[in-house]
Amino acid sequence: MARAFRRKGARFVARLDDDERQVVVGLLEQTHELLAPVPREPTGDPFEDLVSGLGLPRLKDVGDDAAQGPRDPALERLLPSAHREDPGLAAEFRRLTEYGLRERKAANLATAISALQDSDGDKVRLDQEQAQAMVVALTDVRLLLGERLGLRTDEDADALHDRLEAASEADPQLYLAAYYDFLTWLQETLIQALMSM
Amino acid sequence: MSIAPAELSRTDIEQDLSVDRPWITLVWNDPVNLMSYVTYVFQTYFGYSREKAEKLMLDVHQKGKAVVSNGPREKMERDTEAMQGYGLWATLQKDD
Repeated sequence: MARAFRRKGARFVARLDDDERQVVVGLLEQTHELLAPVPREPTGDPFEDLVSGLGLPRLKDVGDDAAQGPRDPALERLLPSAHREDPGLAAEFRRLTEYGLRERKAANLATAISALQDSDGDKVRLDQEQAQAMVVALTDVRLLLGERLGLRTDEDADALHDRLEAASEADPQLYLAAYYDFLTWLQETLIQALMSM
Repeated sequence: MSIAPAELSRTDIEQDLSVDRPWITLVWNDPVNLMSYVTYVFQTYFGYSREKAEKLMLDVHQKGKAVVSNGPREKMERDTEAMQGYGLWATLQKDD
């Protein structure tokens, strides 16, 4: 049975049993899979490889989004358009920032995953840096789950609890909703612990 | 947004805001991010006081959006990218 994150000296400590850790790690891994930038194989073109090595987008990947087909709506929420009224500026912003954002989000998720995998039995202990990565990683997982659950408005989110209680065992969304609810609780406790410093 | 909140302050940012305001960074309401988390992000990234961070968070929650910073375009691009890194729904635009 899970116990909330609490601050103990310089550490943030929670208790999560094997099943709970496995679920959270699984969700973090799926979010990592969606967000991690595609690894770049050397192209043989010295200039492109040089640019690629700098962490910039490869030139052939640069273009309008339409050419790359529709994006997963969850990605659209995790990496939203930065200009609401100017698609040209939005595309430019995406070209310049998406790779870096994906890299940083993937790194946060990886930090959170190893912190959970390195738990001392049920005891999860995070240092400041790991706690900061965890709180952001949990946000990205919840954004992904929220999108899959069709949460579009504050009212949808408020109604989730009722939905959870009314759902039948066979409803596949039941699990997603239960995970979402659990992660919301876990994240809230970690934020409170971080803000109590 | 959903519920909760802390402390920090930096006054140089306040001064910076009043100089010139050609571009703004906006954060939009979304149903997933927790009220406490949004406050935490505004305090952590911008160095805003808890009071200011909470006020901005409530504006996002109640009015649907809030201007969280303003200044030169390059700075607003960095702020927007940072907010998106935290999972907030951020955009930038010319202030008109």
